[in-house]
Amino acid sequence: MNIDTKEVLRYLGYCGRGADDKTLQLIDSVKIEILMSVQPKSIYREFGLKYISDNVISVGGVQFKSSKLRSHLRNSDRILLFAATLGLESDTLVRRYQNIDSARAAVMQAALAAAVESFCDDVCGDIAREEQLKGYYLRPRFSPGYGDMALESQREFFSLLDCTKRIGLTLSDSCLMIPTKSVSAFIGLTKDEECNFNSCVDCENGNCEFRRET
Amino acid sequence: MSIKEKIGKERLFFDGAMGTLLQKNGLKPGELPEKWNVTQEDIIYNIHKSYIDAGCNILKTNTFGANSLKFSSDEFSVEKIVSKGVQIAKRAAEESESQAYVALDMGPTGKLLKPYGELPFETAYDLYKEQIIAGSKAGADIVLIETMGDTYEIKAAVLAAKENCSLPVIVTMIFDEKGKLLTGADIKTAVFMLEGLGVDGIGFNCGFGPQQMLKIMPELKKYSSTPIVINPNAGLPDCVNGVTEFNVTPEIFANNMLKIAKEGAHIIGGCCGTTPEHLKKAIEICRDVPISPVNVKSFTAVTSYSKTAVIGEKPLIIGERINPTGKKKLKAAIVAEDMGYIFSEAISQADAGAHILDVNVGLPEIDEPQMMCKTVEGLQSITNLPLQIDTSDTVAMEKALRLYNGKAMINSVNGKQESMEAVFPLAKKYGGVVVCLTLDENGIPATAEGRIKIAEKIIDTAKKYGIDKKDLIIDTLSMTVSTGADNAKITLEALTYVRNTLGVNTVLGVSNISFGLPKRDSINSAFYTLAMGKGLSAGIINPKSESMMNAYYSFCALNGFDENFETYIGKSTQGETVVKTETTDLKTAVIKGLKDSASDGAKELLKNTEPLTIINEYLIPALDIVGQGFEKGTIFLPQLLMSADAAKAAFDEIKAHLKASGQTQKKKGKIVIATVKGDIHDIGKNIVKVLLENYGFEVIDLGKDVEPDLIVETAKRENVKLVGLSALMTTTVANMEITIKQLRKDYPVCKIMVGGAVMTKDYAERIGADFYSKDAMGSVRYAEKILCV
Repeated sequence: MNIDTKEVLRYLGYCGRGADDKTLQLIDSVKIEILMSVQPKSIYREFGLKYISDNVISVGGVQFKSSKLRSHLRNSDRILLFAATLGLESDTLVRRYQNIDSARAAVMQAALAAAVESFCDDVCGDIAREEQLKGYYLRPRFSPGYGDMALESQREFFSLLDCTKRIGLTLSDSCLMIPTKSVSAFIGLTKDEECNFNSCVDCENGNCEFRRET
Repeated sequence: MSIKEKIGKERLFFDGAMGTLLQKNGLKPGELPEKWNVTQEDIIYNIHKSYIDAGCNILKTNTFGANSLKFSSDEFSVEKIVSKGVQIAKRAAEESESQAYVALDMGPTGKLLKPYGELPFETAYDLYKEQIIAGSKAGADIVLIETMGDTYEIKAAVLAAKENCSLPVIVTMIFDEKGKLLTGADIKTAVFMLEGLGVDGIGFNCGFGPQQMLKIMPELKKYSSTPIVINPNAGLPDCVNGVTEFNVTPEIFANNMLKIAKEGAHIIGGCCGTTPEHLKKAIEICRDVPISPVNVKSFTAVTSYSKTAVIGEKPLIIGERINPTGKKKLKAAIVAEDMGYIFSEAISQADAGAHILDVNVGLPEIDEPQMMCKTVEGLQSITNLPLQIDTSDTVAMEKALRLYNGKAMINSVNGKQESMEAVFPLAKKYGGVVVCLTLDENGIPATAEGRIKIAEKIIDTAKKYGIDKKDLIIDTLSMTVSTGADNAKITLEALTYVRNTLGVNTVLGVSNISFGLPKRDSINSAFYTLAMGKGLSAGIINPKSESMMNAYYSFCALNGFDENFETYIGKSTQGETVVKTETTDLKTAVIKGLKDSASDGAKELLKNTEPLTIINEYLIPALDIVGQGFEKGTIFLPQLLMSADAAKAAFDEIKAHLKASGQTQKKKGKIVIATVKGDIHDIGKNIVKVLLENYGFEVIDLGKDVEPDLIVETAKRENVKLVGLSALMTTTVANMEITIKQLRKDYPVCKIMVGGAVMTKDYAERIGADFYSKDAMGSVRYAEKILCV
């Protein structure tokens, strides 16, 4: 897991502009604190995939409705459910500072967001290398709540993948994940060789202030 | 012999997996297995029966997730699922040739408990209570709490079992390869907490196969004074063509279980992937392994949810700063329930090297039990140091001990009959290390002998309550030397005897020794060194005092507690490179975001400038420069907040100055802010709060996940003219709309501003808000417009 300062600045709203030394020092010190205290964990499992219609797929016998997910999978013929979390300590870090050092809390929040994405990329990179040997390529991660997919589909997602028992990831009544620095996602596996990890460019929300243009 | 007596003395065998066998019988992914107690009784019975035939003598009921979060219909009520589950297992157990028992099986709720998640501790307790009442009524013999990954949830389940039935309680947990639970506790931390709660068996299940469990077993054996239970999976789960498989064969499983039995497990069995065949083979070769005696350990230990402090090895530091006696600022913070100030005291003590934090919020003008709980819960959400619950109010003590996530230090009991009768039952029930003050009905003895006698009396009485001396820590009371030249000598003489002859750990409130004297730090640190030399196990001191910490690090270095003087040298060279204050000009300090300089600058100005002048001519202009930079995009969020924090430090000085002269700062107006119901993201809202306060507004922060009713009620009651709402997710914006509608209906006079990641100007208008704030400065500008006319 590597926390890229550029990513942290992007989450803090710098939009590609550079930061002053004091902020950079703060980011460095926050990075160290994060790397020393969080315990990232991940889980993934393959389920049987069936295409039911233009906007419904069946994963392990459970149906998910989303035309965006359907088209995002393109011609994947296999699917993984994937989840990762930085663990309870990551939320504690933000709470620790938000009452006493709001600058550090804000930077912490941004750095943790960068950290969880980087951790997911690491794990997915490992999966990709393994799958490549079998001639498969990973589609980018697609999470419940993206595009036209209801956030409520998290409930079915969690009923399939044992996130709580294995990695301590839980779902709130309103379908948000706790610990908050977590990711849940569908990952299609396809035999077509194609580029991965272009999540921002593929996204339709062109006005997003955190958008990456590369 | 009852089952309770058999645990740890007789070789017993749990059965193996239920879930994986149900999947083979057609249970679909996502389907709740416990339903089958009602719909597929025969299959459940046959599985139990096959384990009985394999030789198992404890059956786990098919009730792992049978709580009312998952089962709430009449057809599938918790009561029905659980009692049916117990009855089916009992039927199979009764058909066994030898005696077999039924364990009521309970797993995690699937929710994270407050303050980490959203499930209140007492709600978790109630969920387990419901299962336990149904299960014990149906005739279960044991309560098995299994596959647990969170100490707090375990505590709720164990208390529910202990308070609602008299069955023996076994807890097995799921550790990772580093020997950690999901919520961070290592093995010893979990063991100490569970032994404090008085469980009958402790161990591992799930997650790993027998081989991996064997690797972490020595750690469990090292700390546990309780019978050990090991129920591994049939190896690590392996995903083959979309199906989870376990690849350890019955033969290999059995061979490894033999090693586990020889290593000292008292009860063994299986978890995911194990079959009657696995258990049959294991039982055949483990049946005659002699059972290891349960070794009682003598560790004195307190824990938080993830960390243990072992007392009696290297001397430990108990931070004394969260105690209002003689501390004006803390007093004010407690009365105002200003958690930020209390948290900052905790964090600074932790950073300074404290191992345990004393928590005392006793003030006559407050509701102490309520404030104690709020403080303990709050502190446990920001620090992982173990806490010392310090109160003379036994209601506050019980409530805090119940809510505490870990094994607490309890301050205090004394030799008075009344005190021991009140405190020892609590210590026995919730676990803890009790600070014992050597005073009684006749006051504080003037001699060492007198204090030793009281110590002996307390130790004997504790024993009658079932509390071993390892869970006591004796305070031989440091009394100020200004009233008696022998005071230090008496204290230390008693301390030496208690530690060396009685073999009990010791504690002192060190700084009392110098009360009434000048240069207290000198006397305190000298006395501290003397006391550590005589065997002080833990000193209650101010870890932010340089001389005390110098004494501590020097003592540790000289006594071989600091290998290669690493800590000593590290601490001695630290701080030398710190560049002292770059500027004392307040305006510059705020613009540059220098907290200490801002606070110094304000202090300097207060000597000959009116507070209001400082605010209007220094602070607000500085904040405006930064704020405008932020709005223009030349200054970014971290800098804006560094300036805000620096301004806050200056405001704190001004506030203290006004308070000292009996004045209060005039506020510009009140604003209620909240993150709406269902949403748990509050960083944005918190940033808004910091800035609004900087600009002199009084902010009533209702927190996150706030019910619309509470927002409306508060706005009305406080007669505010502006409400700020935050929501991060598209789904929770719906609740924002509901809140706005309710405000419009019940309290139409107030303005509403909204913000959050998914919010836009259009969106805000559509849901009926008056103003969309795109960032924190926007909310300041709007508040000024609405409230400063």
